[in-house]
Amino acid sequence: MLNLSSTSMVDTLSSAYADRWEGSESIAGADANALMNLLASYDLIFVVLAVSLIIWFVLAFYLIRVDQKISKLEQKILSSPENVYKE
Amino acid sequence: MLDEVFNLKLSFWKYILLAYVTLIIVAAFSINIPRIAILEETARNLFFHVPMWFTMFVTFLASMYYSIRFLSTENMNDDIKAESAASVGVIFGLCGLLTGMVWARFTWGTWWTFAEPKMNLSAIALLIYVAYFILRSSFDEDLLRARLSAVYNIFAASTVPFLLYIIPRQLPSLHPGADGNPAFSEFTAPELRIVFYPAIIGFFALAYWMTNLRYRYRKMEYTLQETTEV
Repeated sequence: MLNLSSTSMVDTLSSAYADRWEGSESIAGADANALMNLLASYDLIFVVLAVSLIIWFVLAFYLIRVDQKISKLEQKILSSPENVYKE
Repeated sequence: MLDEVFNLKLSFWKYILLAYVTLIIVAAFSINIPRIAILEETARNLFFHVPMWFTMFVTFLASMYYSIRFLSTENMNDDIKAESAASVGVIFGLCGLLTGMVWARFTWGTWWTFAEPKMNLSAIALLIYVAYFILRSSFDEDLLRARLSAVYNIFAASTVPFLLYIIPRQLPSLHPGADGNPAFSEFTAPELRIVFYPAIIGFFALAYWMTNLRYRYRKMEYTLQETTEV
């Protein structure tokens, strides 16, 4: 049997839940948008990519926030009258 | 120097790094990789798992450098830098250990095995660094803590190449880079290298940023403690 599953879109929902979940056809297929079709292609590997990117973005945002908070505190200490802060 | 250190805006290289790591992650999932038996798609773990360890080595090396420098200068900044680098190194080592466990479960069939020298010895290496932090916390006097932990840190760093490279290579193991099992030789597909090498650089830069943040926080903490004591 020819294995096309790695390149064709995988619709994991509409057949399995078709009778139970209304609107499931739009997960992947002709009426879904291009992004959803991309996410549903190649055995759903891009769903894992999306999850990983979300984690990375949240962690990166946290790093930026901490960086800015530390910078603010440094300025506060530097401008305080009893400044003993030296590099 | 000061205006550079106390810049409120995020430095330009940090934006570059954020975009760079994002690209690495996208590429890691998107490139076509050759089919390798047993590994299958987990070959992509090479882009994440291995750089964790490389980053750990580099941060531990930096930590040792600052410990040696502290012993000759007795500048507390060097001690704070050594501590910051070591703590970031432990974080990356933990990530390496945890990702390795998940990878092992699906390629070797077990989360952990005491027959695997690389697993056990890397856990020991991390424990040696945990002891470094316990040692640090057991002193009240700053200079004494800095001196003794610097000496311990040099010892800790010198065990790492033995625990993670030299001893595992003498013992039978499933892990690449062991006896009769090549690490990163001509067997590794060239496609994997395209993402692997840039990923290492990205994680190095990320570790530098994290170390720098920790250093700045510790430095302020130390300064506040000095000002309130006097």
